[in-house]
Amino acid sequence: MTLFEILLQQVVNGLALGLMYALLALGFTMVYGIIELINFAHFSVFMTGTFVGLTILNLMGFTGSSKAITGLPLVVTLVFVFALTMLATGVLGVLIERLCLRPMRGVSGTAPMITTIGVAFILINLVLMIWGPQTQPFPEIIPDQRWAIGQAEVTFRQVLLAVAGLALMVGLNYLVQRTALGKAMRATAQDADAAQMMGVDVDRIILLTFFLGSALAGAGSLFFGFYYGFTGFYIGYTTGLRAFTSAVLGGIGNIPGAVLGAIIIGLVQSLGGQLLEVRWTDVIIFSILITVLVFRPTGLFGIQTPQKA
Amino acid sequence: MRLRLMVPSVALLLALGLFLGWPGGGVAQQKVLKIGVSFPITGADADSADAMLKGIQMAVEEVNQKGGAGGYTFEAVVFDSATPAAGQYDPAQAATNYKKFIADNLVVAAVGPIMSGEGKAISPILSEADMATVTPSSTNPDITDPKFKDQYRPKGKAVYFRNVTTDAYQGPNMANHAFHKLKVKSVYVVDDGGAFGVGIADSFTRRAKELGIKVLGRDQLNPKEADYKTILTKVKGMNPDALYYGGVQQAAVKLARQAYEIMPKVHKLGSDGIYDLSFPEQAGKEAAEGWWASNASPDMLDDPKAQEWINKYKSKFKRDPTNYAITSYNGVFVIADAVSRVAKTGKPVTRAAVREALEKTDLKGTLQGPISYDANGDIKTKTVALYQVKDGKFKYVGVAPEK
Repeated sequence: MTLFEILLQQVVNGLALGLMYALLALGFTMVYGIIELINFAHFSVFMTGTFVGLTILNLMGFTGSSKAITGLPLVVTLVFVFALTMLATGVLGVLIERLCLRPMRGVSGTAPMITTIGVAFILINLVLMIWGPQTQPFPEIIPDQRWAIGQAEVTFRQVLLAVAGLALMVGLNYLVQRTALGKAMRATAQDADAAQMMGVDVDRIILLTFFLGSALAGAGSLFFGFYYGFTGFYIGYTTGLRAFTSAVLGGIGNIPGAVLGAIIIGLVQSLGGQLLEVRWTDVIIFSILITVLVFRPTGLFGIQTPQKA
Repeated sequence: MRLRLMVPSVALLLALGLFLGWPGGGVAQQKVLKIGVSFPITGADADSADAMLKGIQMAVEEVNQKGGAGGYTFEAVVFDSATPAAGQYDPAQAATNYKKFIADNLVVAAVGPIMSGEGKAISPILSEADMATVTPSSTNPDITDPKFKDQYRPKGKAVYFRNVTTDAYQGPNMANHAFHKLKVKSVYVVDDGGAFGVGIADSFTRRAKELGIKVLGRDQLNPKEADYKTILTKVKGMNPDALYYGGVQQAAVKLARQAYEIMPKVHKLGSDGIYDLSFPEQAGKEAAEGWWASNASPDMLDDPKAQEWINKYKSKFKRDPTNYAITSYNGVFVIADAVSRVAKTGKPVTRAAVREALEKTDLKGTLQGPISYDANGDIKTKTVALYQVKDGKFKYVGVAPEK
């Protein structure tokens, strides 16, 4: 492999990684945009999603040693698994909001954020109780098709991740920018009281935001499982911290910013590992974060928070 | 009034403390002795820990059925040394567990730890308490190396007895095998950042360089990271003949899975850290195929002499044993033997006496052959066995070359 081919391969790897972080960063940034809450439970929702998806696949008869399937059965299975998993994580997000965060609304200071950390640990321990601490193999039902670009290659899993991931993000953008529901969300983000007075059901909008964000995390869970072929109770932490960094890097609350931030983090991770050593990955990522926060505290693309008059 | 009550209760507490705190206090009067067992029974290495724990269980039952040793019967006290935060063994938890053993006067010795990372944390604690542990699988040589005496046994006496040889043999012998049998000319080395992983990767690298194998690079995996594609792509670009991995299960299963995707044809070499019967299932059958693993004890699983034992184990526990299930089993017998020798001299059976007796262990005819230790606690037999995953199972290939 020439240096160019290796770098090309690392860019492909980094983009795939970035898209995965983006799906996670989105839910995070949406919640912040609407109620200014850093929701650390989000990453545990993502982790729980991998186990929910795994269980659904197991119930459908796919196990760690299943062969890949193709054609219509693959499409039907994927649509079914994605729909159910996203629904499940979405409902989980709604439950977290309704049971743990709504009673905290209006409480100033860090209490609601600490609550989300508590919820994150509860979810981790629930997963430990139900599924145990072992690394679980994920059924590899997506065929290992590859296309060569010189000696570098793009896999079908990466293409699927890119296409489906981008479709979800475009869909989200459409929902937020072009629909009445999106308008209500944006209104709530700008000024919840004024929105309420104009007849927007703010509680319902916040619930919906949690649903959407958590459903996206559910999609991210399945991408993670299919892409890496395993899951474990600890995956939320590392992946989540990088996604969190992406959101801050892109300007927290800023939806396109989160996606761009995530792609930057993905590329930094793969190219940093190539040019330096992988043991320095986190050092590089967090150095960039600190540098950005020092010189541009609003993130690369600007914070979008409620504008207080 | 309050003062009057306080004086006798404080006196009582002090007396109780004195009684409990007396070295080896009430031990001699009791008929039951405890053996401390601190294993990572949950987390990434749960399956190999389970196999070993059952070896201990079987040994304790057998010793007790024969009426015990030196007039005592035994009981294993089992603590988990894995934590949810680590997802695998946690040296701090191991240290806590051993402090609990030390606080319990009935514990005369321990079997464990499984991991060298735990060993580094507990060895100085044991040295202070003058209590011995017999490890069935911890192989990092530093712990018993007299060079690091001040660090790991400040009191000077051997407290860390091994039923397996060390990575001073395990790593280099795998390098010998790679060079002579696999004709490997270049290798990339990664470790998982644990005490065991870093140590064995170092000893492999040193020997590989001596033999003239080109070591293309060395990097460290974060065991909690999901993505090893970056490092594997980088390694693929260097076009090595082999990849060496020093470390345990948590990183291994992900590394195997992704290495199969990115560089299926490269020789993949590991250590006893990946010798876990669940490795092929967790990594995926195709991905695990062809991985080499060394083992710091002779092979016993294919030994005709061990078949009776293996059948008994299988029918009792409904699972397959590992070599280290046998070294764990022997750990209990080594301790029972030391206890009975102390009892014969008529001296009280204390931790210190058992530790001293362990130094003179000379057990013949165990399933792993004779067991006796040198002045540092290392076993005198230095055999390293080689395994390779074939059809989804570890198969014994032979003894790893010593040169």
